[in-house]
Amino acid sequence: MTFDIYLIFDSIPKMLAGIGMTLHLLFLSSFLGLILGIIILLMRISGRWYLSFPTFAYIYFFRGTPILVQIFVIYHGLPQFEAIRDSVFWPILREPFGCAILALTLNSGAYVSEILRGGYLGVDKGLHEAGKALGLSTPHRFIYVTTPIAVRLAIPAYSNDFISMLKATSLASTITLLEMTGVARTIVAQTFAPYEIFIAAAIIYLVMTWFLQRGFGLFEKRMSRYIKLSEA
Amino acid sequence: MKKMLLLLLLVGALVLMFGSYASAAEKLRVGCECTYFPFNYRTAEGVLTGYDVDIAKGVLDIIGADFEFVCQKWSGMIPALLANKFDLIVASMSITDKRKIKIDFSIPYRISVGRFVGKDGANLNLFNADGSVNEANFKGVKVGLERATTYANWIEANVPNATVLLYDTSEALYLDLRNGRTDAIMTNPMKAFLRFLSKDAGKGFGFVSPPLDNPKIFGTGVGIGIAKGREDLLNRINSALKTLIKNGSMEKYSLKYFPFAIHSEKWEGVE
Repeated sequence: MTFDIYLIFDSIPKMLAGIGMTLHLLFLSSFLGLILGIIILLMRISGRWYLSFPTFAYIYFFRGTPILVQIFVIYHGLPQFEAIRDSVFWPILREPFGCAILALTLNSGAYVSEILRGGYLGVDKGLHEAGKALGLSTPHRFIYVTTPIAVRLAIPAYSNDFISMLKATSLASTITLLEMTGVARTIVAQTFAPYEIFIAAAIIYLVMTWFLQRGFGLFEKRMSRYIKLSEA
Repeated sequence: MKKMLLLLLLVGALVLMFGSYASAAEKLRVGCECTYFPFNYRTAEGVLTGYDVDIAKGVLDIIGADFEFVCQKWSGMIPALLANKFDLIVASMSITDKRKIKIDFSIPYRISVGRFVGKDGANLNLFNADGSVNEANFKGVKVGLERATTYANWIEANVPNATVLLYDTSEALYLDLRNGRTDAIMTNPMKAFLRFLSKDAGKGFGFVSPPLDNPKIFGTGVGIGIAKGREDLLNRINSALKTLIKNGSMEKYSLKYFPFAIHSEKWEGVE
C-alpha cells in the first residue's frame, strides 16, 4: 500500500464542494434545535405535570438512541406508512435533506434543553429572591435575571454540543446527501484511497472545529465581561 | 501429389476422429464455489445446480468429456486452477485484464449489463423504442445508484445531466424507489430480480429500459477460466459455447433462474 500525501491536498478542494451542505445542515438544525430546546425547557420547568411529562419522554428517547438510528427511523421508517406518504409532511420527508434536518433538530433539541436546564439550575437562589424583593414579576425575573446568567453558564456545554452537531452532520451521508463526508466517500469509491481522502476530510473538520471553538470562546468572554470586571 | 494430399487429409481426419474418441474418456474437473446462488449452489437435497453448472455440463457434453465438480473458495480459485486442482473455472468469474495475465478466458457466457428499474405505469420513457437514450426524458427524473458501482460511469457517459442519488446498500436503493424518493434505479438486472422484483416488496415495479451493455464500462462479462497454454481445449470450449447460444440452450439455462436471458447473442463482437 502506498501513501500519497499529494492526494490529500488534491482532494481538499474537491471536498469543499460538500462544505456548503455541511454548514447548511449544521446551522439550520442547530438554530431549530435551539428554539425547540428553549420550548422544551420552558415546558419542563413550568411545574405542570402535563407539560413536563412529555418532555421527559422526548429527552429520554432522543438522548437514549443513536442519531444514526433516529435518521434511519425518520428516513427509511416513516415512508413505510401510506398515511405519511399522503400527508402534508411528505414533501419535506420525501427529501433526504428534510429528513436530516428533522432528525438533527430533534436530537439537538433534547440535548440543548438539558444544557439550558443546567444553566438555569446554576443560577443562585439568592438572585431570584433579590428579584422578587425588587417587585419583578416571574416572566421579568426569568428574562432579566435568570436568562443572562443561565446563558453564560450554559455556553461551555452548548459549544460542546454544537461541535458534536458538526460531526453528526456527517451521518447525513448515509441518506444520499453529499455533504463533506458524502463527497469524501464518493471520492474514496473512485480513487480506492480511503486513508488519504478521509485524512483530508478530517483536516477540514478540524479547521471548522477550530473556528467554532474560537467563536464560542469570544462569545463566552463577552457574556462574562461583568464577572471579569468584578474580579479585577 | 493430389492423392498424397488427400491421403494426408484422410489420415488427419482419422486421427481427429480417433482423437475425439480418446477424449470421450477425457475427464475435466470444473472448479466453482458451490455456494453462489443461483449460479452454482447446492439444493436442499445436496445436488449441485445453477446457471454455471448448467453451462459447464452443456459445454462438456458437446466436447464429449466427463466432468467432475470441485468446490473451491473464491479467494483461492485462480491459484487452485494454476495448481492443477481442476481444469476449468466455471464460477461466474468476470473477465478482467488483471486476471487475463494469469489465466485465459473463453468467450463470455454471461454478460455484465445495467438496467433501469422503475414503477410500472409511470411511463418515464427514458429510452426510445430502438433502445437509445432519450435524454430529454431524464430531466427531473431522480435516479438512484449504489455508490462506487460502474452504473455511475454509465450515467456520466450517457446522461451527465441526470439527477443522481447515491446509496450505500442495494436494500436502501430498493426502499427509496418503493417510497417514491427516486423515480428509477440503475442496477444489475439479476440482482434486482433476485432481491427486489421477485419479492413482495418489488410488486408493481419492473424494468424500464433494455439491458444496457457496454464492455468498456461494465466489462466483457463472465467466462470460463482455463490455464494458459491449453489453446486447443479453449477453442473447443468456445465453439461449444457458440453452439449452446445458437441452439437456444443457453437461453433455456437463463430462463430456469431468471425471466430474461443473461447471455449475449453478440458473441462475435467479443474477442
